[in-house]
Amino acid sequence: MTQSIDMTTATGAEAMGTRATVALFVRLKLRLIRGNLRGDLAKQLGFVFSCLAAGVVAVLGFVLFAVLRLAPADIARDVGIVVFTVVAIGWIFVPLMAFGLDETLDPARLTLFPLTTRQLVAGMFAASAAGPWPIASLVMLSGGVVALASGPGGVLIGLPAVLLQFAFCLVVSRAVTTALSGALRSRRGRDLLTVGVVFFIVLTQIPGLIINRGLPGDPRELLAATAGVLRWSPPGLAAHAIADGGLAGVAEIVVLAVVVAVLAWLWIVALRRALVTPDSSYQGGAVRRSRMGSFLPGGMLGAVVAKELKYARREPRGRMNWLVAVVVSAILMFSLRGRLDADGPALVIGPIALAALMMGMQAANSFGIDGRSLWMNAVAFATVRDVRTDLAGRHLAYAIVALPLLAVLSVFAAVTGGDPWLAVAATATGWGVMGVALGVGAMVSVLLPYTFPERLNAFSGAAPGQGGQAFAATFAAMTGTAVLVLPVVVPVMFGLSVWAVVAVPYGLAVAWGGRRLAALIGYRRIPDILAAVSRPT
Amino acid sequence: MTEAVRTRGLFKRFGQQVAVSGIDLVVPRGSFTGLVGPNGAGKTTTLSMITGLLRPDGGLIEIDGHNVWADPVSVKSRIGVLPEGLRLFERLSGRELLLYNGQLRGIPLDEVGRRADELLRVMDLVDAQDKLVVDYSTGMRKKIGLAAALLHNPSVLFLDEPFEGVDPVSANTLTEVLRRFTASGSTVVFSSHVMDLVERLCDWVSVMDRGRIVAQGPLDDVRGERTLNEAFLDLVGARGNGDEGLSWLGSATA
Repeated sequence: MTQSIDMTTATGAEAMGTRATVALFVRLKLRLIRGNLRGDLAKQLGFVFSCLAAGVVAVLGFVLFAVLRLAPADIARDVGIVVFTVVAIGWIFVPLMAFGLDETLDPARLTLFPLTTRQLVAGMFAASAAGPWPIASLVMLSGGVVALASGPGGVLIGLPAVLLQFAFCLVVSRAVTTALSGALRSRRGRDLLTVGVVFFIVLTQIPGLIINRGLPGDPRELLAATAGVLRWSPPGLAAHAIADGGLAGVAEIVVLAVVVAVLAWLWIVALRRALVTPDSSYQGGAVRRSRMGSFLPGGMLGAVVAKELKYARREPRGRMNWLVAVVVSAILMFSLRGRLDADGPALVIGPIALAALMMGMQAANSFGIDGRSLWMNAVAFATVRDVRTDLAGRHLAYAIVALPLLAVLSVFAAVTGGDPWLAVAATATGWGVMGVALGVGAMVSVLLPYTFPERLNAFSGAAPGQGGQAFAATFAAMTGTAVLVLPVVVPVMFGLSVWAVVAVPYGLAVAWGGRRLAALIGYRRIPDILAAVSRPT
Repeated sequence: MTEAVRTRGLFKRFGQQVAVSGIDLVVPRGSFTGLVGPNGAGKTTTLSMITGLLRPDGGLIEIDGHNVWADPVSVKSRIGVLPEGLRLFERLSGRELLLYNGQLRGIPLDEVGRRADELLRVMDLVDAQDKLVVDYSTGMRKKIGLAAALLHNPSVLFLDEPFEGVDPVSANTLTEVLRRFTASGSTVVFSSHVMDLVERLCDWVSVMDRGRIVAQGPLDDVRGERTLNEAFLDLVGARGNGDEGLSWLGSATA
């Protein structure tokens, strides 16, 4: 709240210069980060974890990039161009989909302050640049100067080029999120973004698919051809300017500066629109009363299953999770196919196991999707058994969707893989993996719950300050499941198809055990889970 | 045994901040109780602890003589809750929300359906029963929330700011239902800072300020000869009367 006082005291728009605005916003961002961490050990650990990860990425990225200097100059240049472009693309899309990497201010919260748009842009820009991940990318990008500069000219041009590239990343990322923020508030917009994200994932896989289908010529030529195109993109210009180090390089960074300025102007326009465009309220129609109830067990179990299935259908986040799981596993199947050295069963079993893992990951934060409404369960749950029934209902709902999907995917994978009989083993393995993922997910759900934002937030996939916790939960669920499925998956992958018989009972056992243990722990932790999943977003 | 709710030394702190500092709350059975206090007095924290949604740092809570944190089975079936804010399962329709809630409580489905239909009719939500809760207005949300809290026929009902942001028509429906509920001998505890409303509805008042109970008893004892609002301002100490400072505020510019 002190920040708002700071701002209101500077009432006149002229009262605050750009530098003061920048300082104010950076302070605000740091104070928000600190405020979010206060008095919450889990979040502090999460933040430390996130900082460490950013540090590792920064150092490793810098070193790996710098080592490129040892390569022939033209290859280094081409790789540099590709890396710069990939970083920029990452900056556009990662904040849209990934969990809490970038906890930035929502411009909507600043609408009422007497700030000129220019001040707002300067401030938002500064706030975006403050944080572990932006700094990590800046460090990583500056590795490009080491890698590409061939003389003093290269270094001289390299520093502004890296800064401009960094500015380009920030501005592009902000412009896209701001332009979408209006759309993201409406339900229809969120659904569109869902498709967009899946589309993006497909898009990123296309190069891999092409490569796996057989390379047109050798990798060097491909690299040169790709870089030849990307070289004219803004990040490509930056990388090329460093490598060039002469007058052409100067011209290139001038062009880049103009591009950044134009994008900043576009961002201002988007921001101005976003600030005065109201939340598009949605007059919802009635939903059909479902007949689902008659097929489900009665009582608490059936109620939970029915609710979960409705959520999977009506809640955009629920729908997106399933869509992504299916699309990604389909892509995996295709992209693994081209490999010549791998042998039959692994190509069918591997993607199915991964698909099951991805679908099962949704269970790793079971209570998150309920969010603030979880109190309704909490006031009803009087015994450990109630919590177990709730978890069982959720698992049953996941299974109702996932098991047929996995079976279809298995048949598809086996038939295209040339061995239709493998479909049986693949289905069984996939179901087993799903069971293990559910069991592990139940444990993670009660131990590391976190809040999903109410709207698919452009800025974060977890509530502010919980990015690290979300990451830790996903990581724990992934590793836990991956380790526990090894005994059933590995033999089948190496051709011992009969072993798949064990997979389903094994998965059931792990799911059952995970539920039992999770219910014991979760029953004691109900108030804590409730608090963790109902944070303001 | 005439108390529906009794706490002894109930205590909660958040970091350095003491939210509730050892209160002894008493709510007689069958009363219509108002828990009043300024913002930040600890009303929501108190209600959350009593209803088992927030773990207290110390003290004892009994509902109908059962310890809330030691004997949740007996307690949870006896209480109905409408927490702060409008936290409901947004992607269920109003009717589905009631059915879900009833089934969670272990009521047979046909019985839940019968009760839900009646509640929807009384709450004037029949037209909206198949719309998603996410599209409900504030008044409709409070009404569906109250319906969900009443569905299992609790003996004590806890409502956190049930009238906040509710239009007069919906507020009237809510009060009518609550009056009928207490007339049958059940207990209602609700928090509010609308003194007129508390004065009109309640027969028992607990006044909280800065984590303490500063007055508690029958409405007439607490307010004495004054209005409840005057008594309340005396009790919590009216802070600042607007005379000092703010000399720049207003149209009489220098």
